[in-house]
Amino acid sequence: MSPDPWIWIGAILTLMIFSFLFKDNPFYKFGEHLFVGVANGYFIALYWHNSLKPNLFDELAAGNFIYIIPLLLGLMYFARFIPKISWLVRIPIGFIIGWGAGISIPAYFQAEILRQVEGTIVTPESFINPLNGIWALIIFIGVVCTLIYFFFSKEHKGILGHTSRLGIIFIMIGFGASFGYTVMARVSLLIGRIQFLLGPWLGLIK
Amino acid sequence: MKWYEVISKIDRRIIYVLLTLFIILPFFVKITIPQNIMPQTQKLFDFVDSIPPNDKVIMIAFEYSPQTMPECRPMAIALLKHSFMRNIPIVGVSFDPQGPGLAVEAFATVVDELNSIALSREDSIIYGEDYVYLGWKSGRLAALLEMGESIKSVFPRDHFRNSVDSFPLMQRVRNYKDVAIAIVLAAADYPIDWIRYAQTRYGVKVGAGLTAVMAPKYYPFLQTGQVSGMMSGMKGAAEYEKLVLEHGYATELGTAETGMNSQSMIHILIIVFILLGNIGYFFSRRKK
Repeated sequence: MSPDPWIWIGAILTLMIFSFLFKDNPFYKFGEHLFVGVANGYFIALYWHNSLKPNLFDELAAGNFIYIIPLLLGLMYFARFIPKISWLVRIPIGFIIGWGAGISIPAYFQAEILRQVEGTIVTPESFINPLNGIWALIIFIGVVCTLIYFFFSKEHKGILGHTSRLGIIFIMIGFGASFGYTVMARVSLLIGRIQFLLGPWLGLIK
Repeated sequence: MKWYEVISKIDRRIIYVLLTLFIILPFFVKITIPQNIMPQTQKLFDFVDSIPPNDKVIMIAFEYSPQTMPECRPMAIALLKHSFMRNIPIVGVSFDPQGPGLAVEAFATVVDELNSIALSREDSIIYGEDYVYLGWKSGRLAALLEMGESIKSVFPRDHFRNSVDSFPLMQRVRNYKDVAIAIVLAAADYPIDWIRYAQTRYGVKVGAGLTAVMAPKYYPFLQTGQVSGMMSGMKGAAEYEKLVLEHGYATELGTAETGMNSQSMIHILIIVFILLGNIGYFFSRRKK
């Protein structure tokens, strides 16, 4: 068994959280509340030392008074707590939305629409390797059928009905793959914890 | 109670106990379940393996959190070993507040291991010359765009509050032009921002090491070539560990490879439970 007290704290807290699998109990509650408290403390300290202090207050202390503008914009968020001046909160929100939309829309369109459409188009080059060609064709059919499934302006009958049903199959395969990956992810986290308990704590495995 | 009712109403605590047993068993009983290397992991490995030594840097973004360490930490360890053994300099960054502590730990683990077997100063991994960890920065969208012009203006100091001008490595790393690939080890949707802002605008190559939950979302980007290679969950990490070992960059496998036997056992168990649940459901419906 490990002589390191930090390993013991980690192991005991892990077991406290796992105890919830049996049923809710005070040990689990303690672990949960401790986690929330520690996480909050960590984030507050990190944001203060790495963001607010160097990027704002140090600059103001150095006489860069232009930083009063972001300070005021930040303070306006708190106006929400005073009903009389709560409208002030719209200014920083408007600023953030304007900046965010301006910066994101072209980047999003280019990276996630244009390039993805480009990747879906089947060209003669797709068939240089026949297997890749077949996959490219499946992707093309999958995208078209899925898009037709989400086309609600016309009743899904006839060809539209057949293609939209094929679209559902592609969507279901996508859901299945996502679920499979999710199971793998959650099991990985459990394996990690058990490796920690059996290894660093109990010393039963390397 | 009929047999089909029994199998569709198994107490969840029995399932937990079985899950735990199936995870523990492969650690004590030698069970070898072969793992194939997926093309996306091979692609990432090949990309890193083709970067000329002592030329451009690999930028690693440490964006994982303590709860996703079993998936992402082995990726970081294998990737660091691979890069250091090939003399490819590394610049680490984080935009997730939980990243810095884990990045420092991963660097320390690999650097200590490699320096303990180094025969000369040339073989050693030296901070500031072979790698730098720039730390965490808030406002990642602006930072990702600004780093295309100047990394120094976003990170004037490293994680340990040293001026980046004091590092020989950072004298030659000015912006994305000096980055061979940015590999994002993430437990949240960070790689998409690298694709949207760093790649679309500055053309930087992006690789990814993702938790398995996130992996399906990134396959389309892999297909279009926007992601140059990818490790998906613990399996991806185990594959990269295996490749690093096979090419002689490591002497032993890491924690992901050892965990994969448990992973495969659990998958078999879950498939059995899904089948039992479905059989129970269909029989009880037929009886009604």
